[in-house]
Amino acid sequence: MALDRKVAIVNLSTGKIDIKPISLEVRKKFLGGRGLAAYLLYKYVKPGCDPMGPDNAVIFSAGILGGTLASAGSRTDVMCKNPLTGLLGSGNMGGFFAPELRFAGFDHIVVLGKAPKPVYIWVNDGVVEIRDAKNLWGKSVTEAQWAVREELGDPDIKCAVCGPAAEKGVRYANVMTGIKNSNGRGGGGSVMGSKNLKMVAARGTMDIKIAHPMEALEFDKRYIEQITSAKVNQTMGALGTPFIWGATNSWGGLRTNNFQYNQLLYCDEIEPESIDEWSKKSVGEYNMTACFGCQVHCRAKYKIPDTPLARKFGVVGNYDEGPEYTSQGAFCCEPGCTRLDTLLICNHLVDQYGVDNLEIGHMIAWAMELYEEGILTNKDTGGLELRFGNDEALIEMIHQICNRSTPLGNILAEGGIRAAEKIGKNSIKYLVHVKGMGNLHSDERATPGLALNIAVASRGSDHLRSRPAIDLYHLPVDVLRKIYSSPVPYDGPLSSDHTEYIGKPWQVYWHENCYMAVDCLGTCKYHTTFLGATLPNFEDWSKVLYYNTGLEMSPKDIWDVAERCNIVERLFNIREGMKKDDPYKGEILVDRYFNEPARRGAPDVVGKTIDRQKFIEMRAEFYKYRGCDEDGVPKPETLKRLGLENIDKEPSLV
Amino acid sequence: MEPKVLVINHEKCTGCRRCELVCSVYHEGVSNPSKARIKVEKWEWEGLYIPMTCRQCIDAPCMNVCPVKAIYRNEEEGRVHVDHDICIGCRSCVAVCPFGAMNFNPSEKRVFKCDLCSGEPQCVRFCDMKAVDFVTPSKESLIKKRNAAKKIADAKKLATTMSYEA
Amino acid sequence: MSEDRSTAESLRSTRTYGQVRCMNPSCMGRITPDPGAPKAKCPRCGSEWRIFWVKPGFPRVKGPVWETSQKLAQEKWAAIQAQAQQKKEEN
Repeated sequence: MALDRKVAIVNLSTGKIDIKPISLEVRKKFLGGRGLAAYLLYKYVKPGCDPMGPDNAVIFSAGILGGTLASAGSRTDVMCKNPLTGLLGSGNMGGFFAPELRFAGFDHIVVLGKAPKPVYIWVNDGVVEIRDAKNLWGKSVTEAQWAVREELGDPDIKCAVCGPAAEKGVRYANVMTGIKNSNGRGGGGSVMGSKNLKMVAARGTMDIKIAHPMEALEFDKRYIEQITSAKVNQTMGALGTPFIWGATNSWGGLRTNNFQYNQLLYCDEIEPESIDEWSKKSVGEYNMTACFGCQVHCRAKYKIPDTPLARKFGVVGNYDEGPEYTSQGAFCCEPGCTRLDTLLICNHLVDQYGVDNLEIGHMIAWAMELYEEGILTNKDTGGLELRFGNDEALIEMIHQICNRSTPLGNILAEGGIRAAEKIGKNSIKYLVHVKGMGNLHSDERATPGLALNIAVASRGSDHLRSRPAIDLYHLPVDVLRKIYSSPVPYDGPLSSDHTEYIGKPWQVYWHENCYMAVDCLGTCKYHTTFLGATLPNFEDWSKVLYYNTGLEMSPKDIWDVAERCNIVERLFNIREGMKKDDPYKGEILVDRYFNEPARRGAPDVVGKTIDRQKFIEMRAEFYKYRGCDEDGVPKPETLKRLGLENIDKEPSLV
Repeated sequence: MEPKVLVINHEKCTGCRRCELVCSVYHEGVSNPSKARIKVEKWEWEGLYIPMTCRQCIDAPCMNVCPVKAIYRNEEEGRVHVDHDICIGCRSCVAVCPFGAMNFNPSEKRVFKCDLCSGEPQCVRFCDMKAVDFVTPSKESLIKKRNAAKKIADAKKLATTMSYEA
Repeated sequence: MSEDRSTAESLRSTRTYGQVRCMNPSCMGRITPDPGAPKAKCPRCGSEWRIFWVKPGFPRVKGPVWETSQKLAQEKWAAIQAQAQQKKEEN
């Protein structure tokens, strides 16, 4: 059964391993993946603990549809208390790890404590072992994976691994799998590093019984067709996620030179079409690769071109995958660089170091602004001309941060708020973050709905938790109405105009539930109502879930699970100190959004800021939909409705 | 009529392994790549993915080695078939297959191999890239010829353009 | 399980082909580029876009025509500045 996978609780301090089943009751409440992980995090992390200490947990999770026929049941969620923010840390990656974990018999690996020396966890056909990692420690993301396959003699082992950045204690290190699949934003890698845990390696040959195999196959055909026929996925299958750049940079929605501008000018060389051209030139006509069970194949392959810069850093001809849209942001618009070789080199370096591309790009761009403002000087940078558009300085800083090899690299490895405290001189004023996490390279000044999304996202400034991205398409209201009135009715206002404020709180709320649900299922966000309005959601999932697992859950039931899990994440954040207007741990934007008008882009974007009053009103409306009081704290009746009123007192359900 | 065979163009393979998934679900009712009749072998560090499955050999080593003649060719369907009523489970066929396409299921203690899904291979049905296709052997070489010629034609076109520009 | 179409499936009929949207927020008008054309100008707002063809019949906006886009943005910025200046003087 797809429902018989287990949870392993691994304590690295004591070496004790507990294997627990997941009851049907728990499945119906949390499904699996990120949702159940949030509950496990809430129960297994000691309140108020040091995220880099042994009382934190790091939880590796597969979704309930992982490894089934469901399109792209490939996603791995990793959760912990984030060393960067002190709040919820959660990342999600594609690739092949989660299905392998399920074939090995497990849905969740909860890691507690701290190993006295480097170890890795080996999960194989129902058995979990802690093993010595002395041959793996210190190795790059990919080298470590090939080494463990060699050690255990199986080329099909899949790994969730951390890289050198995590070992060095960078606070925004990723969990990685394969060449480039990155479990980013959550600090999972950093927590692994702090626990002396190099990787979880999985290999399995256990059946996942499909409840209705022939019906599942037939429905799957139709479901995949729904996904692959969407224009957005056809474009993504050709150009990868960089395709988004075509729209966002066109109208002026990308933060450029940290936050000075909102459009990167004359950047033809790093536009998706140019990346694609190089990719094909370097690896051949069929240049796209895919995650487990996915027909969209949105990841490009490439080799680094022979350029003076690539020669200088010794990476000519190296193979990698991507770059994704986020790398374009981190290594192009934010630091103001427009060269393709720079983008491909930086993308490769972060993949090898296992560091979050968005956060490191954001930190360097921030430092560049500080340098240009005279807050950082040559004395601080060791003579490095840390100016916008200095490609070499950008690459150099990636090395310095990941190795913590210079005073400035060491400071920036701590993340924005800690670094601003050390640098002082009002440097915090230039930092663009929410809850201490750097914002994606998007500039939301012309898109209030998206601005609300980054402010309330549970893991900090983030686009993958509740972004109403289809808002940018100016869909007719009747289409919006159809989407946003299902599976629960909504008859409030909706607007086709993405510069408007009305209707957006409901959209953000709806998408927050939509993305939580897809993360519980463990399928890809690009296969739901994220970038395409005609992609599957609750109604379709109800069927996929039934055919594959036999679970009978209505669209509304799945919606309720998402509500519950979102509230659990919110409860975790509140427990760890989130307050709505706290500038470091709150659900508020930095002043630059309200005070500095956008200066570039389409005529209607120029001059835009976020209206503070309207923003506060949107947030209040969002809290209302979420069942929270005016401070964003879940009301007792909401907890009761979702069966969470005893979450603090009850013994863990798993 | 000439029976069709599975034709693999590894260059087109994106490595997603949906073929493995649908194969195991179709034949066994379970999702389990280790029970699939097709497997994508990978060289991830070079981005190379090679789907491996039974070639339905004309002079099949598995058939020749079988001590009890449990394996035979169905000429009409163009496939090599294992008769499990005769098979003694000696795995000689597994040992001798040059492609690793004969597999052994340890729980059911029997060999298994690609049976072309009785004429509608699910791997082909679900592969959007057509990295696995179902065509007649004579057409296979025609397609390959055309693709190879296209590369020459493209190079020729490029050369012509360049000399014109110069 | 009912076999009727979900909301998402029913919305497939709203998909349009052969067109791109103007990227100017208040405009967002649909533009039909000439087949294979590298550029397209919005007939409503004057914005001009560079076009890439994902495949024949399937265009997408690659980016703005930089000169046109810069000119329009600078004009708008100057107008905003002038307006602010005027307001200041009035006060």
